[in-house]
Amino acid sequence: MSSIGTGYDLSASQFSPDGRVFQVEYAQKAVENSGTVLGLKGKDCVVFAVEKLVTSKLYEPFSNKRTFNVDQHIGLAVSGLISDARQIVETARLEASNYRGQYGVGIPLKYLNDRLSMFMHAYTLYSAVRPYGCSAILSSYEDNKPEMYMIDPSGVSHGYTGCAIGKAKQAAKTEIEKLKLSTLDHISLVKEAARIIYLVHDELKDKQFELEMSWVGECTQGKHEKVPLNIKTEAENAARQILADDSDSDVDEI
Amino acid sequence: MSSILVPDIPAPGFSFDLCQRNSLLEKKGYPAPKAQKTGTTIVAIVYKDGVILGADTRATEGNIVADKLCSKIHYLADNMYCCGAGTAADTEATTNMISSQLELHRLNTNRVVPVVTAAKMLSQMLFRYQGHIGAALIVGGVDNAGPHVYCIYPHGSCDSLQYTTMGSGSLAAMSVFESQWRPNMSEEEGKELVADAIRAGVFNDLGSGSSVDLCVIRKGSVDYLRPYEMSCKKGEKQGTYRYKRGTTAVLQKSVRPIIIEDEMIQRVDHESMDTSS
Amino acid sequence: MAVEQRISGVNPMGGLLYPDWQHAEHSTGTSIMACEFNGGVVIGADSRSTTGAYVANRVADKLTKVTDYIYCCRSGSSADTQAISDIVNYHLAFHRMELGTEPRVETAANVFRELCYNYRDSLMAGILVAGWDQYKGGQVYSVPLGGMCVRQPISIGGSGSSYIYGYVDANYKPGMDKEQCVELVKNSLALAMSRDGSSGGVIRIGVITENGIERSVVMGDKLPKFYEG
Repeated sequence: MSSIGTGYDLSASQFSPDGRVFQVEYAQKAVENSGTVLGLKGKDCVVFAVEKLVTSKLYEPFSNKRTFNVDQHIGLAVSGLISDARQIVETARLEASNYRGQYGVGIPLKYLNDRLSMFMHAYTLYSAVRPYGCSAILSSYEDNKPEMYMIDPSGVSHGYTGCAIGKAKQAAKTEIEKLKLSTLDHISLVKEAARIIYLVHDELKDKQFELEMSWVGECTQGKHEKVPLNIKTEAENAARQILADDSDSDVDEI
Repeated sequence: MSSILVPDIPAPGFSFDLCQRNSLLEKKGYPAPKAQKTGTTIVAIVYKDGVILGADTRATEGNIVADKLCSKIHYLADNMYCCGAGTAADTEATTNMISSQLELHRLNTNRVVPVVTAAKMLSQMLFRYQGHIGAALIVGGVDNAGPHVYCIYPHGSCDSLQYTTMGSGSLAAMSVFESQWRPNMSEEEGKELVADAIRAGVFNDLGSGSSVDLCVIRKGSVDYLRPYEMSCKKGEKQGTYRYKRGTTAVLQKSVRPIIIEDEMIQRVDHESMDTSS
Repeated sequence: MAVEQRISGVNPMGGLLYPDWQHAEHSTGTSIMACEFNGGVVIGADSRSTTGAYVANRVADKLTKVTDYIYCCRSGSSADTQAISDIVNYHLAFHRMELGTEPRVETAANVFRELCYNYRDSLMAGILVAGWDQYKGGQVYSVPLGGMCVRQPISIGGSGSSYIYGYVDANYKPGMDKEQCVELVKNSLALAMSRDGSSGGVIRIGVITENGIERSVVMGDKLPKFYEG
C-alpha cells in the first residue's frame, strides 16, 4: 500500500480522493496475515487445504477448525480472523437452511455465493461497521459437477478452478498454476494440495502448523467431509518426502 | 384446585358448545341469519368488433323491488365496463375503487390499460376478502390485444370467456346464449342477442325485471344504451273510476266576498353593520 | 365434490355442524391426471367448473402455467387454486432471474407445498405439479389437501379420480412412452368424466418436454367411448 490513509482510512463509508476505501484494503491485509488456505477443483472433486498455524503447543489437536460444513453438499474454508469467519459461516448456514426449507432442495452454490457476497459487501458500506477480516472459499458438488467460489472482504467473488488466500498466496498460486487441474482425481488433488501447503510454509517465521483438509466430490457422494486421516497422513508423508528430496538435490547442486 | 398461579388446564381439543347452542336456538325458532340473496341478470358477449354488456335494472330488498331503474353496468375505464350482481353496495364500491386505481395506472403507464389488469385487480381484491364482499362481476372491454370478457366470482375466481352470464337470471340468459351465440356476430345481431338474454332473465326470473341496459364497447368508442328497452311497461288502466261532472246535483250556491279592512307594506332589510364606537 | 363434504359435516350428536349459508363457492369438481415418461410428462384435465349443480364454465382450463416448463393441474376451489398458482408463478419467475436457470420442478412443488401447508385451514386445493427440468427430466408431484408433497410416476386428482384408481393401477406400466401415456391419460379421464357428475366437457392435454409444452384438446364428441349400458 503506497499511501497511508491521511484521514480517509477511519471509516468504510468514505472514499479517499484517489477512489479507494482504505478500511476494505486493511481488511484484506488482515487476511494476508493468516495461514494459507487453498482450494483445488479437479475432475470430479474440490479439495481444501488449510495451513492452520498453531500458536501454542497447549492447544488440543484439531481445534479451531477453518473448514466448515454449510450444508450437506457445501463446504467453506476461511482465512483471516477466525471469529469473523464463524459469523459468516453462521450466515451461510442460515441461508442454506432457509433455502432448503422453502424449496425442498439444496441451495445452488452460485446462489449461496451471491447471497454471501452481498452480505459481506454490505459491511463495506457503513461507517458504523467494519468489513469482515476474512476471505471465504466455497465448494460444492452439484449435478455431477464440482464448483468453487472465493469471496474477498470487499464482497467481490469469482468462480475458480484453483485459488489461494492467506500468507503465502502468491507462492501457492504459482504452484497451482503449474498443475493440470481438470485432469486430476481426488487422490492426486489431496496430494498436490498437501505438497503445496508444505512447500509454502515458512518454517522460520511460523514454527508449528497443522494441515487441515476437506473435500467434496464424487468420492464422497456429493457430501462435504474431512479428508480421512489415513489419506491425509499419506499425502503429508509424500509431501515431506518430496520436500526432503528437493532440499537434498539443492545441496547436491551446491 | 385452581388459583391465579396454577390455573385450571382447559380441556384439550375443539369446543362444540356453540354448535349445541345454535341447534337449540334453531329448534326454538331462531334460525341462523341468512345471507341476503339479490336477484339480477347480467350478461356479456364478444362480437365481431368488440364486446356487448347487458343488464336488467331491478334492485330488490327481499321480496320488495327497491329500485325499478337502477344501473348495473358500472364504469371502469374508457375502454372497459363492468356488470355487477350480488350486493349492490359491494359491486358499486368495488368497481369504484378499481376504477380509480385503473385511472392512476393509465396515467402512470400512459397506455390503454389491458382488460386483464382490471380482471386481476378485481379478483385479487375479492380473494383477499375471502368471499365476504358479495360481488359477482362480468368485466368486458377492448384493449390493444382485442375484445375480452372476464367473469369473476365473489370468492375471487376468474374465467376468460367468449360469452357469459351471471346473477339469479343467469340460467335463463345462458340458455339463450348456448343456443344462439356464434363467433363474429355483427353489432346489430349481438345487441339483439344480448337483449334477448336479458329479456329471458327479466321475464323468467323473479329477481330480475323492468328494463334492458346495454353497453357496446368497440375499439375507441362506447355506446351506453340506457335504457335500451323498457321491457315491462306499466299496464294502462282499462276503465276509469272518475265520476262524470254533474253527477252530484247542486242544491244551493252562495258567494261571499272578502272584505279588505286595512293594507300595510313592511319591508325587511338587511341590518347594516354597526360601526359605531 | 369436497366442498359439499366439508359443508354438510354432521356432528356426532346429530344435527348440522355448520349452518349452510354462505356457500356458493366456485369450485372445480374435477378430474386431473399427470404421468411421467422418459423425457417428459403428460398432463390432462377435464374442462368443467361448477357452482353447486350449475356448470359455471364448460371450457375451463385447469392446466395452468407456472413457468415455461412447469405446469400445474388444479382441483378444489378455483379461487384458491388460481390465487396459489399466481403466487407460485410470481415466486418462480423471480427465482428464475436470481438463479439464471429454469427452476426445478421439485422447487416448484415445494413452493406449492409451502403455501398449501401453511394455509391448509383456509384453502381448498388439490394440485398436481408437473414439468420438466434438466436434472431429473419429467416429474410429477402431488400436493393434496393437507399440504403434503410427494413425487409419483403417475398421479390422479379431483373428485373424478376416485372412479379410476383401479383403471389406472391396472393400465399403468412403468417405462411407457409418450404416446402410450397420452392414450392412458385420455382413456382414464374419459372414464372419470363419464362417471363423475362434476367432471365433463372436453379433455385438455399437455405434453411437457425439454422443448416446452405441446397442448391439445379432445372435443366432447371425440372422447374415447367405453361401456355406457
